[in-house]
Amino acid sequence: MLGWSSFEPFLISGLALGGVYALSGVGLVVLYRATGVLYLAFGAVGAMGAYLAWQTTPPNTPVGPVGWILCIVFCAVVTLAYGVIFGPPLAGRGPLVQAVCTLGLALVLFGVVDLVWPSSGGASRSLTLPTDNYGFVAGGVTVNTTQIISLVVGVVLTVGTGAFLRYSKLGTAMRAMANDREITATLGVPVRRVEAAAWLGCGVLAGVAGILLADLSALDDTTLVFTVVISALAAALIGRLRSITLTFVAALVIGLVHDLITPITSISDYRDMTPFVLAAIALLVVSRGQVMTRSREEA
Amino acid sequence: MNRREQRRSSRAGVAGAAVAVLVAVSAAAGCSSLNSGSGGKAASAPTASTPTVSTSKCGTKPGVKATGSPIVLGGITTKEPGTDFSDIGTTAAAYFDCVNDNGGINGHPVKYYPETEQTNPSQIASLAHQLVSTDHAVGIVGSSSIIECSVDNSYWKKEGFYVLGAGIDPECWSTPNTISVNMGPRYSSDGAVAHALNSHVSKIAFDQSNVPGTTYIAGGPNALAKAKHVPIQDFTENVPLTSANSVAIKLANAAGPSGAVVLNFTPPEALLILQAAQKLGLEDKVKEWGCSTPCNTDFLAKALGPKWNGKFFVNAELTPLNGDTSQTAGLYQAILAKYGKNVTGGVGSFSQMGFTDAEIATHALETVKGAYTVKSVNAAFKNIKNYVSGMQCQAFTYGNYSEHIPNNMDYTVTPDNGKMVLTQGCTAIPSVDPQIAAYRKLAGTAPQASSSGSGS
Amino acid sequence: MTVTDHRRAAGTGAPRRLPPLGRPAITRISVITVLLLLALFALPPVMSLYYTDTMTQVAIYAIVTLGLGVLVGRVGLFSLGQVAVLTIGAWTGARLLFATGQPFPVVLIEAGLVTMVIGTLITLPALRLRGLYLALITLMLAGAVTVIEATINFPNGGGGFSGYDGSLTHIPQIRRPSIAVSDAAYYRYAVIVAIIMFGLVYLHLKTRPGRAWAAIKQSEPAALAAGLNTTFYKLWALALASFVTGVAGALLAGADQELFSIDFPIQNSIELLAVVLMGGAYSITGAVIAAFLFQFLPALLQNWGVPNDWLIIIFGLGVLQVLTTAPAGIADQMPRDIRRLWRRVTRKPARPAAEGGAK
Repeated sequence: MLGWSSFEPFLISGLALGGVYALSGVGLVVLYRATGVLYLAFGAVGAMGAYLAWQTTPPNTPVGPVGWILCIVFCAVVTLAYGVIFGPPLAGRGPLVQAVCTLGLALVLFGVVDLVWPSSGGASRSLTLPTDNYGFVAGGVTVNTTQIISLVVGVVLTVGTGAFLRYSKLGTAMRAMANDREITATLGVPVRRVEAAAWLGCGVLAGVAGILLADLSALDDTTLVFTVVISALAAALIGRLRSITLTFVAALVIGLVHDLITPITSISDYRDMTPFVLAAIALLVVSRGQVMTRSREEA
Repeated sequence: MNRREQRRSSRAGVAGAAVAVLVAVSAAAGCSSLNSGSGGKAASAPTASTPTVSTSKCGTKPGVKATGSPIVLGGITTKEPGTDFSDIGTTAAAYFDCVNDNGGINGHPVKYYPETEQTNPSQIASLAHQLVSTDHAVGIVGSSSIIECSVDNSYWKKEGFYVLGAGIDPECWSTPNTISVNMGPRYSSDGAVAHALNSHVSKIAFDQSNVPGTTYIAGGPNALAKAKHVPIQDFTENVPLTSANSVAIKLANAAGPSGAVVLNFTPPEALLILQAAQKLGLEDKVKEWGCSTPCNTDFLAKALGPKWNGKFFVNAELTPLNGDTSQTAGLYQAILAKYGKNVTGGVGSFSQMGFTDAEIATHALETVKGAYTVKSVNAAFKNIKNYVSGMQCQAFTYGNYSEHIPNNMDYTVTPDNGKMVLTQGCTAIPSVDPQIAAYRKLAGTAPQASSSGSGS
Repeated sequence: MTVTDHRRAAGTGAPRRLPPLGRPAITRISVITVLLLLALFALPPVMSLYYTDTMTQVAIYAIVTLGLGVLVGRVGLFSLGQVAVLTIGAWTGARLLFATGQPFPVVLIEAGLVTMVIGTLITLPALRLRGLYLALITLMLAGAVTVIEATINFPNGGGGFSGYDGSLTHIPQIRRPSIAVSDAAYYRYAVIVAIIMFGLVYLHLKTRPGRAWAAIKQSEPAALAAGLNTTFYKLWALALASFVTGVAGALLAGADQELFSIDFPIQNSIELLAVVLMGGAYSITGAVIAAFLFQFLPALLQNWGVPNDWLIIIFGLGVLQVLTTAPAGIADQMPRDIRRLWRRVTRKPARPAAEGGAK
């Protein structure tokens, strides 16, 4: 019934959506591997940073260096502060409690953002980047440079952080610390400093992702704090919160499936279930193995 | 307590202190938001010409504070992240503040309770109970909610209230005791579709957010398109939108190069779809883009940029403000400037609705002889006949009808360099919408313009 | 492990047979009885309608927080999808109330059973997972349920399987039991249902399943080694929690009388977990406190004119505070604080005794 040509533009938009999920999904996994904490406030911190960037950008102009710096600094400071203050008392409480605690931070930031930037009176905000206006045509639609950049950032993160965690001294320390804080400390690793470095790096990443996501999806608090993060979590779960590469690929697949379903009217209304269904299937299949039953996953 | 526990508890202490700091920070954020409106920039974004009308016009005794026994009124508006109609309530409150400073209503000040809800039926019902049995409100003015009409209607009927609000869900237009100053999603979408049909498009793709009553809303546009023998395809989207890009592609494909896409979304969601279309280079892939009233905001005009001038047409159910120099528009802006510190969205169609509600209510209250009771006040509301507010195409009549669509003539605006400007003056919504036809038959009104129906 | 210590200290769920009633237990039972009688008979005449409606919601959500408390506190399952489970019960209840003339209590039980079956079935395969993964999969399932409900909508008196008609201009109200049509009567009805559900859960905690859950919570390998069928008992906990939540859902349908999918966004499940952690997931009192936080506090703030966003901020701060300093929640913390305050006050009798919020 539907020919290939009617799916072609959705292939492009699906890749773009996958890029959004990849950016935050890979971010989540990188943070988890470096700090041992599933940082569910990733989207919330980035959202507030993006709102700050929007606030300091004159109307109808793209985000400039001031906005970028403000957003990244804000995210870095908040994330570092959270890590330094809440990291130690929660160490040893298991990844579940640590993850739920970051939800607390997410709720606080969500409330503050909605208080300071309400949507009353039809206020609709958008954040644009200079790269939005350049692109090429594929499948009958324009692919803009921001979308390419976000995919590239995703790839760079995937390759770069993978290599960093594996080969660099700091990266190895982070992995060791994320795995077992006490033992790492007895081995003479300056746990506090390594931890701080990990959180700081994560904050910077959340800031960069915050602006890109606000541009690619929406400068909307519910979307950035919950919707994008939960969908990206699906990708991260498919990557078992370990494999950055698998998360990246899963994110692209989720985005593609979601958008390719759009023109199929019989199931189109259910397309928003895509990340959840794929994650559930993947998890249930994967869980037949031993991966999930490591002792440290028991909270 | 061993050493380790001690260490842990001291860390916990640090964490506790951090929580305290967070409280302080968010408190500061909250306060600053109260002072600066919506984060400073938002409030100043819609342009307001300098008020030339004095606020003394809103009362009968300029400059005299009303001191009599208060007339208690209330309204319920939706306010939650992403969907916020609270400007309607806060603007009504501002209007009544102005009335109270200028002699009140026959010497009585109005005490107005603007309540807000989070689309929770039990909360909405309890707020209605609170207004009636605790606050002893004698009139309900300035309500605007996604589900309030539906939830509270039978209660208002039972208690003898004739509500004066700005409606959204189907019940707001189809009951004897609720009336709206706006046209609402169905009739406003009618207006947008009618404009597209007049441009002789070959097909219409009509998309709306998945809110209660989508089939009812789509009924109007479908009737209009059918009468003109133009095919129409209906869509609904769960909000917040997950992939605006795919929605934009879907709609552009469905409408085709000589068709029109008509949207019925809140401004943030509509902006997402339109911006996605722009980034994908789809704005010229269809003949015309249309939108119901919510899109009539300068926020949208600013964000969209010049590519959409003369390409995107928005239905406006209240008199467009840009370039409007009438007495009413002046008073509206003067009141917002002097009393509207809680109107976080500033000048725009939402605060316009609140203004119009309060204006009509004030007019009706002035006609009450004797005590202000639920009975007398609501009788006065019901008796409003041919009241000319400068904010609407038509004169406003409540009347004893089984349904109310008093506002059924619209304007059309289009973005022009960061502003929404008038492109089509008062035009009647076609009677081919069976609901409109039924109302006109009931009310015996042949559509005609009675106020500032100027336009090109 | 601090967690289990606190639970012991709180005095519930001690892994023994039904204990003989000592004097403290008798005191506690009489206090609870008096409070319940007050809630049932003394409150309705003096409460405004606004607070009657609010307290109905508190009673209903107390059942939900109780169910989530069982999952979190007893078997260590941090469910991030409990509001989605509630909506399954509400949907089923509403559908049955529109479609059939069955007595209300029958519908409550049916909704509970349907929710139990669905809730258990969809989580069944996930039980192989643990901790963080299990919590996240509940979030995924909740996401899926939310999308389905947004698409098929809640019944509003229409026909067909979904019972939804989007073209209706007058939505009929979901019926209430004939003995509880008024708001005050329905409040009493909800409180009584809540008491029955609390009794059901209490019975479980004090008997074999409760002991099994405590053993699993302490150490799953040890419980396995002791010959406990851990999967069976985990499923039992899930089934129990889903059942009571389903009953609460049908009760909610009768209370709200109209249901809308926009009222149940996925973040509600997250906020629900937040209040359960704040209230205290390890005790029955904690469930009641959590329900007050979730339903009463917003009504109070509304009356004080405080924007709703503050509530979200408070919940967020509460999670941070509870998880770092008081893992057993307010239910455990407040009595200790009051005792400490009392000691300080009795030492310095110059100041009048502060109330400390004891109710």
